[in-house]
Amino acid sequence: MKRRNASRFKAATVVVSLLIAAFIVLVLLGVVTHSPLDVFIECLLSEEIQFAIRLSILTSVISTLFCILVAVPVAYALARYTFPGKFLMNMVMDIPMALPPLVAGVGLLLFFGVSPMGKSLAAMGLTFVFTPLGIIMAQFFVNLPYMLRVARSTFQNVNPRYENVAKTLGCTDAQAFWRVTLPMSWNGLLAGAVITWSKGIGEFGAALMLAGATRMKTETLPLSLFLNMSTGKLEVGISAATILILISIVSLYVFERYGGSTHAY
Amino acid sequence: MLIIDSVSKDLGEFRLKNVSLSVGDSEYFIILGPTGAGKTILLETIAGIYGPDSGRIILNDRDITDVPAKDRNIGMVYQDYMLFPHLTVEENIGFGLKSRRADPDFIHGKVQESAELLNISHLLHRHPGTLSGGEQQRTAIARALVMEPDALLLDEPLSALDVKTRESLRGELARIHEATGTTIIHITHNFEEVFDLADRVAVMQQGSVIQVGTPDEIFRKPNSDFVADFVGMENLFSGEGSPGGIVTVEHLQIEVENGMPGPVSLAIRPEDIHLSKTAPPRNGKNILSGCVRTVRQTGGIVRIGVDAGLPFQVSLTRQGFEEAGVGPGDLVYLSFWPSVAHAYPPGDSGGT
Repeated sequence: MKRRNASRFKAATVVVSLLIAAFIVLVLLGVVTHSPLDVFIECLLSEEIQFAIRLSILTSVISTLFCILVAVPVAYALARYTFPGKFLMNMVMDIPMALPPLVAGVGLLLFFGVSPMGKSLAAMGLTFVFTPLGIIMAQFFVNLPYMLRVARSTFQNVNPRYENVAKTLGCTDAQAFWRVTLPMSWNGLLAGAVITWSKGIGEFGAALMLAGATRMKTETLPLSLFLNMSTGKLEVGISAATILILISIVSLYVFERYGGSTHAY
Repeated sequence: MLIIDSVSKDLGEFRLKNVSLSVGDSEYFIILGPTGAGKTILLETIAGIYGPDSGRIILNDRDITDVPAKDRNIGMVYQDYMLFPHLTVEENIGFGLKSRRADPDFIHGKVQESAELLNISHLLHRHPGTLSGGEQQRTAIARALVMEPDALLLDEPLSALDVKTRESLRGELARIHEATGTTIIHITHNFEEVFDLADRVAVMQQGSVIQVGTPDEIFRKPNSDFVADFVGMENLFSGEGSPGGIVTVEHLQIEVENGMPGPVSLAIRPEDIHLSKTAPPRNGKNILSGCVRTVRQTGGIVRIGVDAGLPFQVSLTRQGFEEAGVGPGDLVYLSFWPSVAHAYPPGDSGGT
């Protein structure tokens, strides 16, 4: 009796899992298989999609590099040191992740559009509003927390005693980080960079607000999807969506592959 | 000569309270103490990982209190090896010499030499993840020794190893100490390591050093109830001392090696008591009679509880036990020399 209950429970949970998995796969397959292959390839080769791919890759790679550059020192400080305001800082850093991207976008628009700092940046030639630069900024702002969280937990997983030993072997703090902690964190940081990049290439809300949706100017893949779907050019929109799906799946695989091994040390 | 002078450090969870020690050149110094006694933070403070809140550390007449770890030339080996997993054994051992920007040929030679000393020459191309625990610890020791440190700090270096590896590496440590003459400070819970390796021992409790002495002094002449209990003095009584060398515990009078007046604690090691069925000649020994209450076999040792007006514990070897031929309920005589009965002022903190 007891056994039968247990197996029924197992069956129920497994069936729900299977149904959900099937649902996800069907949704994605629906997009990927919507247009015939020749139409898909034709769209891919169209000037607009080519532009969107180039702009997406360029902006997402640059914003990811900035995320890494900022997240590595910040994550290290949060993982290793105690300082006043650390708890609050930890929370503040995570806010952009919890925020709806549209709200983040409005904030960025106001900051770079009407605030004195934004105006002086614009005067210096750094115009973020309605430019590709704005896309990079939006991706950076929204995705920094992802890089930061992965980097922080990666550094936390490296026992500080490795650095202690390195210091007794003639390293300064910075050398111990460079020669020991960083190489030991390589997989984790790579995983973080991939997930950040993949979030960046799909960034829509904040980028829409700050950089606008100008065809062939600030048209990244998600914006292209949005613009073409709303103007009825279904095939073009779907080709953008298909590319985004492939990118997501590949990055997820890389993340799982390398992210999991950060706990080895 | 390493002098630790009134060092205090508060890390919240662990702390050092006014610790003073001096370790001679080429001395093998062991620090004993329960978990949380502050042993590791003492080593890390000596190594320069933390600066002390107060006090000074002097190494070979040089005040190193404010010298960063990298410039102290003090080696550190942790219980869990802390080998850099992304580097080969060779790169691990050569790590410190590379920090010093030594010539690659020189590094190679030194690494070979150090690896030979630790018998790991055949492992140089391997990565730490592929090594056994004993091999990893040998590598960690080689990595510290190759720097020719003025002092080598070992934080429970053998605790994570299986019994056999532990014993062989213990022998290696004795040999390396002999061969290199390095000053070593070694933390452990293990009494065998103390007797096998230590020139002197310090016992720590809650961030303070309670007693310092030779292994024999620590194990036979504790200065406090804490040390007596920690080193396994199973016969611990409180009584009233007299200058003449007699301690009265309840109604029993026991002659001890060191007379002191007033309330005292009395400690006798269980293996220092002789047990027999017939009364032995007195010859200046303490002789008590009592009844066997318990007999417990623990590996090679048999532990016998005897009620002689006071509860005594006696340890016999298996052979000694068979010769004595006693069992529960038997009337037996306990005899021990006054020299093995040690009196000290009662309390946990030590006389000094």
